[in-house]
Amino acid sequence: MTSLILRRLGIGLITVLAVSIIIFFGTKILPGDAAQIRLGQEATEANVAALRERLGLDQPVYMQYLSWLMNFASGDLGTSLSSDVPITNLISDRYQNTIIVSTLTALIGVPISLMLGIMAAMYPGSVYDRILTFISVSLVAAPEFFTATLLVLIFVFALGVGNAVVVGSADGKGFFELLAHFALPITTLSFVIASQLIRMSRAAVLNVMNSPYIEMAILKGVPRKRIIFRHALLNAIGPIVNVVALNLAYLVTGVIVVEIYFGYPGLATLIVQGVQTRDFVLIQGLGMIFCMTYVVLMLVADIAAFVSNPRLRHPK
Amino acid sequence: MSYFKRNDPTLGTLSHSDRELLIKMNRQGVSRRDVLTMLMGAGATLAASNALYSGVAHAAENTPKMGGRLIMAADQHGPNDTLDPALFTSAADYFRGRMFYGSLTRLTDSLGYEPELAEEVLSNDDATVWTFKLRKGVEFHDGKSFTADDVLYTMNRHMGADSVSNASSLVTMIDRWEKVNDHEVRAVLSSPNADLPIALGTFHFKIVQDGTTDFQTAVGTGPYSVKEFKPGVRAIGARFDNYWGEGGYLDELEHYGIGDSVARLNAFLAGNVDAMVNLPPKAISQVEGVDGKEIWSLQSGAYVNIAPRLDMEQSSNMHLWKAMQMLQDRQRLVKGVMKGQGSLGNDQPINAAYFDHCADIPQRDLDPDKAKWHWDKSGLGSTAVPVTAAEVAPGAVEQCLFMQREGKKIGANFDVKKVTTDGYWGSVWLKDPICVASWNMRPTANIMMTLAFEGNAAWNETRWNNDNFNQLLVDVRGETNADARKQKYCDLQTMIHEENGMSLPMHRNYVDAVGSHVKGLTHVPLNNFGGAESPVTLWRDDA
Repeated sequence: MTSLILRRLGIGLITVLAVSIIIFFGTKILPGDAAQIRLGQEATEANVAALRERLGLDQPVYMQYLSWLMNFASGDLGTSLSSDVPITNLISDRYQNTIIVSTLTALIGVPISLMLGIMAAMYPGSVYDRILTFISVSLVAAPEFFTATLLVLIFVFALGVGNAVVVGSADGKGFFELLAHFALPITTLSFVIASQLIRMSRAAVLNVMNSPYIEMAILKGVPRKRIIFRHALLNAIGPIVNVVALNLAYLVTGVIVVEIYFGYPGLATLIVQGVQTRDFVLIQGLGMIFCMTYVVLMLVADIAAFVSNPRLRHPK
Repeated sequence: MSYFKRNDPTLGTLSHSDRELLIKMNRQGVSRRDVLTMLMGAGATLAASNALYSGVAHAAENTPKMGGRLIMAADQHGPNDTLDPALFTSAADYFRGRMFYGSLTRLTDSLGYEPELAEEVLSNDDATVWTFKLRKGVEFHDGKSFTADDVLYTMNRHMGADSVSNASSLVTMIDRWEKVNDHEVRAVLSSPNADLPIALGTFHFKIVQDGTTDFQTAVGTGPYSVKEFKPGVRAIGARFDNYWGEGGYLDELEHYGIGDSVARLNAFLAGNVDAMVNLPPKAISQVEGVDGKEIWSLQSGAYVNIAPRLDMEQSSNMHLWKAMQMLQDRQRLVKGVMKGQGSLGNDQPINAAYFDHCADIPQRDLDPDKAKWHWDKSGLGSTAVPVTAAEVAPGAVEQCLFMQREGKKIGANFDVKKVTTDGYWGSVWLKDPICVASWNMRPTANIMMTLAFEGNAAWNETRWNNDNFNQLLVDVRGETNADARKQKYCDLQTMIHEENGMSLPMHRNYVDAVGSHVKGLTHVPLNNFGGAESPVTLWRDDA
């Protein structure tokens, strides 16, 4: 067990290193460098050169990579090329927002969707199952901005509750105040992840339900609820945890549409702004944070799968 | 000082052109006598004129109320937001600059200047030596007194070839700055510049403290001090109690970035923010229909254009670019794309928003017949002419599409290639043979033409190089005779209109939206939010 986890950790570390190379050199391919973009339409050759030198962009690329990697390992994300502010300053507020929104969404969205999905698997083909399938498939098809627009129209403009845009800081707010503060983004995101989670948990449980040992349990006369929760669910945990982990990673890194629509600063918008301003240091730092989020979440998912499934612990 | 609002009912009794004129006069702070003369000239009775004038003058008597908090929603914002005045690039930077800093001079709505940190501005007869007598008793936010050393440090950051300043081109004619005493500095110029105090009133010349190198916060002399600054998120200013002048009426002024225009509009309509920049033209009627929400529009010299490079094979063809100019459906662009919030362009950058505008140049209009004549002369036949466009400003792409459609009717084949705005200024603009651009207004005609039309200017889009033009542009800077100055500026504008080659179909207004409870709006036509001059004067009526 320990060696398995260690091996997964090792693979994770190699992944992070590989990604760091891709991120670093990938950002160098973008046309125009930070000095050029920062000066924008106003750029002249002379002030571009002056700024380039000040930002250290005149060093060889591999030197830039090595010093960056060493700094990153020691927790120094560097200084933004476009504003001379430490990256950690740029990230802190947004990281907080992102973590709050994704945690609250996960706390609300994940248990509800799993319950709904498992219940659908309990009575496959029932009216409840069909309605749920219909709704979740429609939700998969609805893009985030559509759901968000609909929610704003209904809640803000028709009912007059909630904020069209999340203005103001989350600092010093309690749990319920935060829920109110981010109500619409959380609802939108819950809809987005719910559809996938419902479909996947239903499928995973149903899949197990077709195996011979469940058939045996049914023949023994075990009640359906007990079969699902005692016999089937443990074996379905692996795939379900995987989907949950992927969705959580998405909540941290990929909710750009929701962030922009509700106008609150988060990590996903920041990386897009980083690309637009060719702020390589920022892109690299964020890229690494995103990569590590994925790696950690997948590691947790794998460990959960090991724990729930003895066959994975003792491969032939 | 603004005496009345655009939608004042009494204005409805006047004809459209008179109304516009009156609004413009009003914005530029003309005297009561000028307004009355103009109104009576327009056929209004003395009594009616007086009623109109006193009705509207009443608005001006509203004394600002202290207190309250406003949230102003910006658009462009990101990790490159900065508090270093020399590196300002966006409207958001300019606005914050005004909150936190002061400058030697302050621009007025008519693009003149009034003294700010300089109490008195003097020059010698040929405008080559400028003396600034500095205001005494001005305090920085950290309590330090403002002196000549701060001015010298600030100004020297814009000087020299290795300056990273975005505005160094405005002060290249300054040879050196000298300290006369603690409260007097002098600029010695290598060539005359009668407009120097205006240039120094613009965004980048905000006074920073002597020796400042760290701009994570702003220690200035402005009406608000930094309470919070997070690049790409928000800036909050708290009233600076020791501000030397009038202004800074709010307890707190927040500047919050909402990049997406739909989200910004939602936030504004829902009342989450008090004002928003860059109202999309489509939403103008929507905002006008809501009680308590107003349009905050400034007629400006900002423009979109299509520039052919005169140093390249195909695009140097004179008949090609003449045809392009004749193919611009200017009326339709202003009405259709800008919903009237713009004005016709005349293929030269200096429109009526500038002091030195020349009204004598005939307006160029859509003229398919002349265009066809030029097109046939060009010998291009059905050869595709590539035009690169990006959404750099409203109308930037449409001007190309309209031209393409009109072109089709006369057999011209424009191949409009739309590219992303990301990286446009670095990799397309000034490089492609024919491409679009968007320009902000500059404080004077001379600065605008020096930046983009002088033969050796870094941003000379068409590479047009006319010795007469270059020479005249320098001469006029020292011209003190008003008539001669006007004639020279007319000649300059005519030359661009006739020879430069670019099509400039439309000037766009700066169109923002603001709640009616927000007072103290400024109308300096250089940028959004009243030329970014409004932070000083904003106040809340319901505070």
